[in-house]
Amino acid sequence: MTSTLPAATATEVVAPGRAVPEPPAPPAPRRTVPPLRLRLRLRSSRPDLLLCGALLLAVLVVQGWNIAAYPALSDDEGTYLAQAWAVQEGRGLAHYTYWYDHPPLGWIQIALLTRVPSWLSPGAMTVGAMRSAMLVVSGAGAVLVYVLGRRLSLPRWAAGLGMALFGLSPLAVVLQREIFLDNIAVMWLLLAFCLAASPSRHLWHHFGAGLAAAAGVLTKETMLVVLPALFVTMWRHSHHDTRKFALTGAVTACALIGFSYPLFALLKGELLPGSGHVSLWDGITYQMSRPGSGFLLAPSSGSYGVLHSWLYYDRVLPLGGLAGALLLLVTRRRSVTARALTGPALVVAVLTAVALRPGGYLPAMYVIGALPFLALVLAGGAASVTHAVLRRGRRPGERRLLTGGRFALAAVLALAAGAYVVPRWYDGDRTALTTDANKPYRQAAAWLGTEVEHPERKRVLVDDALWLDLVHAGYRPGLGAIWFYKADLDPAVTKTMPRGWRDVDYVVASPTVRRDARDLPNVRAAIRHSRPVAVFGTGEDRVEIRRVRPATDRQAPVGGTR
Amino acid sequence: MLTSVFIAAVSLALFWMAAFTLWWQMHAWRTPEVLASTRFGRPDGGEHLSFSLLLPARHEQAVLDHTVRRLLESTHTDFEIVVIVGHDDPDTTVVAERAAARDPRVRVVVDTHEKKNKPKAMNTALPHCRGDVVGVFDAEDQVHPELLAHVDHAFRTTDADVVQGGVQLINFHSSWYSLRNCLEYFFWFRSRLHLHAQKGFIPLGGNTVFVRTAVLRDAGGWDPDCLAEDCDLGVRLSSVGRKVVVAYDSDMVTREETPGTLMSLLKQRTRWNQGFLQVYRKKDWKQLPSLRQRLLARYTLMTPFLQAFSGVVIPLNAAVALFLDVPVGVAFLTFLPLVTAAVTFVFEVVGLHDFGRQYGLRVSFAHYAKLIVGGPLYQVLLAGAAIRAVWREQRGRNDWELTRHVGAHLAEPIREDLPA
Repeated sequence: MTSTLPAATATEVVAPGRAVPEPPAPPAPRRTVPPLRLRLRLRSSRPDLLLCGALLLAVLVVQGWNIAAYPALSDDEGTYLAQAWAVQEGRGLAHYTYWYDHPPLGWIQIALLTRVPSWLSPGAMTVGAMRSAMLVVSGAGAVLVYVLGRRLSLPRWAAGLGMALFGLSPLAVVLQREIFLDNIAVMWLLLAFCLAASPSRHLWHHFGAGLAAAAGVLTKETMLVVLPALFVTMWRHSHHDTRKFALTGAVTACALIGFSYPLFALLKGELLPGSGHVSLWDGITYQMSRPGSGFLLAPSSGSYGVLHSWLYYDRVLPLGGLAGALLLLVTRRRSVTARALTGPALVVAVLTAVALRPGGYLPAMYVIGALPFLALVLAGGAASVTHAVLRRGRRPGERRLLTGGRFALAAVLALAAGAYVVPRWYDGDRTALTTDANKPYRQAAAWLGTEVEHPERKRVLVDDALWLDLVHAGYRPGLGAIWFYKADLDPAVTKTMPRGWRDVDYVVASPTVRRDARDLPNVRAAIRHSRPVAVFGTGEDRVEIRRVRPATDRQAPVGGTR
Repeated sequence: MLTSVFIAAVSLALFWMAAFTLWWQMHAWRTPEVLASTRFGRPDGGEHLSFSLLLPARHEQAVLDHTVRRLLESTHTDFEIVVIVGHDDPDTTVVAERAAARDPRVRVVVDTHEKKNKPKAMNTALPHCRGDVVGVFDAEDQVHPELLAHVDHAFRTTDADVVQGGVQLINFHSSWYSLRNCLEYFFWFRSRLHLHAQKGFIPLGGNTVFVRTAVLRDAGGWDPDCLAEDCDLGVRLSSVGRKVVVAYDSDMVTREETPGTLMSLLKQRTRWNQGFLQVYRKKDWKQLPSLRQRLLARYTLMTPFLQAFSGVVIPLNAAVALFLDVPVGVAFLTFLPLVTAAVTFVFEVVGLHDFGRQYGLRVSFAHYAKLIVGGPLYQVLLAGAAIRAVWREQRGRNDWELTRHVGAHLAEPIREDLPA
């Protein structure tokens, strides 16, 4: 029967009620009640569980209903899912040469997430069907937003508000339904923040925060810019006596896991550029030198278009969140809530600053990394305002009329906010729940699966989003069903097409293919020398299946020798 | 294929070993509450126990007097110092007798064993102890004057049978290995030992250890044939359910010095390792009630040998991964032990910083560099000591290789803190 000494009374920290048997003898009142934050255990708090559970259900229903049909399939989703398929099939990290465009951890996780459903029904491994796997990610993310909100000492209703903002904003619904690496990465970052703000201030929780942050960065490298805010959060939440161990532990964990990526490249002999192989260095150089999309606020720039595509879905979360972040950062000295939410507010500030850099490249999914933090700072801002209205300057003997006025003002503010937000979100979410944006894709996939004879001998240039459908329909992955841009950009593919567009049988001209064909000579020529044999949908969104013309004078079977 | 499986298995084993060791090593810093609980409680002023402080001294005439004087400065009101000298060691005896003549609280006991060692000396003195609690110090120890009051308080408030105070090597500037040696003590007494106390299996330290006299007599004193009698006593006491409490306060630790030469460090470590091996083979730890405790005991007592093993295998494993043609996944696994080693290194650097802070010592960049560069070398030393211990135990050589002390940790007498 042994134990360590009970806590020294001199220190402010008090030993938690561990199972250390107290001596019966001297009734010394040494062990005071643990501070509230130590007793806060969400797992055993019924109101928290009920609120979080109800919100989770709502989020899952809104995000899950009609998930396959809206929004329109994106080629990026197709890319990642196809690479996840390659991982599942044991074809390496991608069915084309993996060229260090992104660290592979993202689609390795997608492969794990979709492993069971694709094992039960191999044909279901298509973008529309597998979007449901993303529900796991967004559900986990929503719960983590709630937990983080509580750990950053938001009141219950505000944490719930943050979770609702994060899960139900039409912008979030659209983006979180899609199979994007950013969604998975942001989940890891949320986990890292939750661990960093762990109420027990446990060394290994901070260490775990470092690991989770590294997983986030290895899922999507852009998360790197969020790490300083994570560090600040950890600093704030660690105790002076153990801080240096906790923080260095976290940084070490993050760095060591992060280094596994270059190590992986090194072990494959692909760290540095060389002839005849891809390299991590080239991959990074490519990403860093992507043509800029212009200044965010210049109306003619591509970035401006991206910004407006976000604001089209929702203005409340991005703009309200930004305002909330600024409010919190400005009132840091006066408001407890603002200080508690320094981390999320910093994330928003950093991401905004990065988006505002002139000449940078701004992808459409960029905002995903900011969504949970926007939601938290907006909820925190609301909590801060509510607190100011209800409590600031209030004294014990305040007149009842004045107190009533405070509550009336709070109610008016809440109603006004609700009146502004609810109708807009209702419309946005109804669209997400009812619109079928992917019918042309499904029809095109069905046509290619039924109307084409000997698909195993045909070569089709196709958008990444439909590629897996074709593979399931019997087309050869890689050189039969071809990601359209590989026909111009991947030497391993172009060398099998000595006669250029003449070596192609079909082009599936989806909006993406038509848009990008401008810069891809082979694809452009194939479209020009083809005629539509089937068209699904109308206008800009139509999907055309085009048969490349000189079918008669081609040397018969294409398959075997290539 | 077989190579891959073998490499993967070895890597994973090493990884888990290092991870557990690291986990335990960092015990005290897990949460601020744990850290606070590792300190002594502040004494309440009441002093109810009497102490008999054993001070075995063999060829320690250079430092003994200083140690006794310092012990006599203790604020506690009820203690005696029992200096144990050998009948064949007149120089030390003279110093001890002089101290006894000066102060009635000092007594001298002469050990007449033909072959001498520390446990035999202490067993000789045990019947002469009059105090409620027997404390052990070494002849070169620098003991804090308020330590006894704190220990008294700890005994009374926790109902402990044993209280182990902190021991700290201080002269980290003497050489590259003393730097590592100091840090080893820091992690052991500051952190790891508290975990052992909490888990109910503890190898006690050689000094600043206090045992209720009755409990000690019950246990039959120290094992005269064991080379790590301190570890053995802890294992025997905790295995029969005696309550052990550990406390560490940087201003309350007993300050010691590292062995003066690399060879004496090697000898000291060989002795400890051999002692651990003996304790392991005595099987007292098998009486521990739970499987987890027995596993912890098994692992702890075998640590030196696992250390030896891993010191050799980690670099070998990494080399195999780099130069042999194994799948990338397997090559990845071989880096896992290196990852834990790197984390350990980083925590050691932070530990050195904390050590400097706690003791008000200036740690320069060169020391950090030495810590890192010395790491692998120290590992070789530990591995060497472990192998030497096994070899000696196999040959039945269990004589006592004593460590010599020059007083490098003391402020005045002999300074050794010139840049090494």
